[in-house]
Amino acid sequence: MEIEFQRVGKKYESGQEALSQVDFHLQQGEMAFLTGHSGAGKSTLMKLMMMIERQTSGQILVDGVDLRTLSRRAIPQHRRRVGVVFQNHQLLFDRSVFHNVALPLQVSGADSEQIAKRVRAALDKVGLLDKEKYNPMALSGGEQQRVGIARAVVNKPQLLLADEPTGNLDPRLSAEIMNLFQEFNRVGVTVLVASHDLALVARMRHRVLTLNQGRMVNDGGFG
Amino acid sequence: MAQKPNQRGATRQSIKATKHNWPTRTVFNPGKYFRQHQATFIESFMRLVNYPLSSVMTVMVIAIALSLPGGLYVLLKNVQSVTDQWEQQSVITLYLFSDLEDTQALALSHRISAQPDVASVEYISKEEGLRYFESSSGYEQILSSLPENPLPIVLRVIPKEVVDIATISNLQALRDQLASQKEVEHAELDAQWLQRLANILSFGQRFVYALSVLLVVAVLLIVGNTIRMSVESRRDEVLVMKLVGATDSYIRRPFLYMGFWFGVLGGFFASLCILLLSWWVSAPAERLIESYQSGFQLQTFNADEIVLCLTISAFVGVFGAWIAVNRHIATIELQ
Repeated sequence: MEIEFQRVGKKYESGQEALSQVDFHLQQGEMAFLTGHSGAGKSTLMKLMMMIERQTSGQILVDGVDLRTLSRRAIPQHRRRVGVVFQNHQLLFDRSVFHNVALPLQVSGADSEQIAKRVRAALDKVGLLDKEKYNPMALSGGEQQRVGIARAVVNKPQLLLADEPTGNLDPRLSAEIMNLFQEFNRVGVTVLVASHDLALVARMRHRVLTLNQGRMVNDGGFG
Repeated sequence: MAQKPNQRGATRQSIKATKHNWPTRTVFNPGKYFRQHQATFIESFMRLVNYPLSSVMTVMVIAIALSLPGGLYVLLKNVQSVTDQWEQQSVITLYLFSDLEDTQALALSHRISAQPDVASVEYISKEEGLRYFESSSGYEQILSSLPENPLPIVLRVIPKEVVDIATISNLQALRDQLASQKEVEHAELDAQWLQRLANILSFGQRFVYALSVLLVVAVLLIVGNTIRMSVESRRDEVLVMKLVGATDSYIRRPFLYMGFWFGVLGGFFASLCILLLSWWVSAPAERLIESYQSGFQLQTFNADEIVLCLTISAFVGVFGAWIAVNRHIATIELQ
């Protein structure tokens, strides 16, 4: 999936300006990191891509289509093509790992045979095939994060967004998670990871976008 | 490129649509649709089973609320089936003014008996009336002490129509018509008790209707409140579903089915209550009615009425859920 931001701004009703004049272009199959202090606008940028929020100025083109032209009814269709790992929308503890990962497939109406096949494939990729019957509560933090990633990729999305996916994980686990994203990128998925772990980001040697107070201050380099 | 601009625009758009495979709305797929409904149908039932205590409480409250008007309806139905068979050959008694001459009274009698809705008229002169009184009542002494015969001429009008509870009003019209004759001082229809019964029944009917409406509204509120709490308790799930691309109707569906189950189960137990209650009272009720009338069979909820009860309660359940879900899902938005 190809993403293009053209002079995008987001001003909240409170008057707070979360993003202003943001320009960048993410090619099909590219992987990039998004860094910046907390409050710099990383989450807002991701929410705009998910159509959780709407920009107040500029254009966001996804595969050449202006997101503003999509109706409310088209939003679910858009979200099905994007996999997300968001900090605050984590796993549901009233069901097993399997059923957590199956959710995006159920929502899009896949049949149970297909669901079982794809869920197991996704769990296999993140190395949790043997934990499918567990309740996510019984898993460690790193494992839970991987279940979240499995859920994000089970639908074979064309874009993978991750907001602080290594938030409170130790360096070894963080590196494992980042490697996972890299693997998905290798099979053609466009990946954008927001992280404030600059050391880790630098080690990954990918394009780095840096936000500061809602403005894109650095695009390129390795951080 | 000799194409006109508008054609080129159209071509580019169609290429874009195919190239990006960019669905902007859900394409209807019957198989998928049915599969999703079937899954939700079962899941929403299992959810009730998984929270047995609160589910049973809600279902029982609905059942009790519905069995009340249902039970009264059955009672009314039985009273009606009994009273419908009660026919009465009624008589309209006309008391004429006491200063009326015999000839005038006879003329009136002929006029009335010529009416098409009158079968016959019996003429009771003052003397006949007095004799009747003397023979039957034990008022002889009082009557003989009076200086003159105080009784008026009486006409007993027998209408052609034999009335039951439904046609009693026809006779009342006839009575009113006869009462308006200038010779008539007072007219009395001796089917009054049938009329009173009809009044009581129509009062009962309205009472049951009003109570039904009130209790159906109560069921609506009960279901609505239960669903509202259910939506609230599944807030995280709703948010995650929105995040992974669930449509609004997909999110609504399990709650609507939940309302459906509450309604159907409530209606089912209400019907069961009514059947049990009818069975319990059937023996004494039949003995009671048989002392008045033979061949009485206590009526209870029949199959049609059970189906109707279930349909209404299912509809009320879904409607209550629909109101609650529409109000509360909108307040749950990703942030």
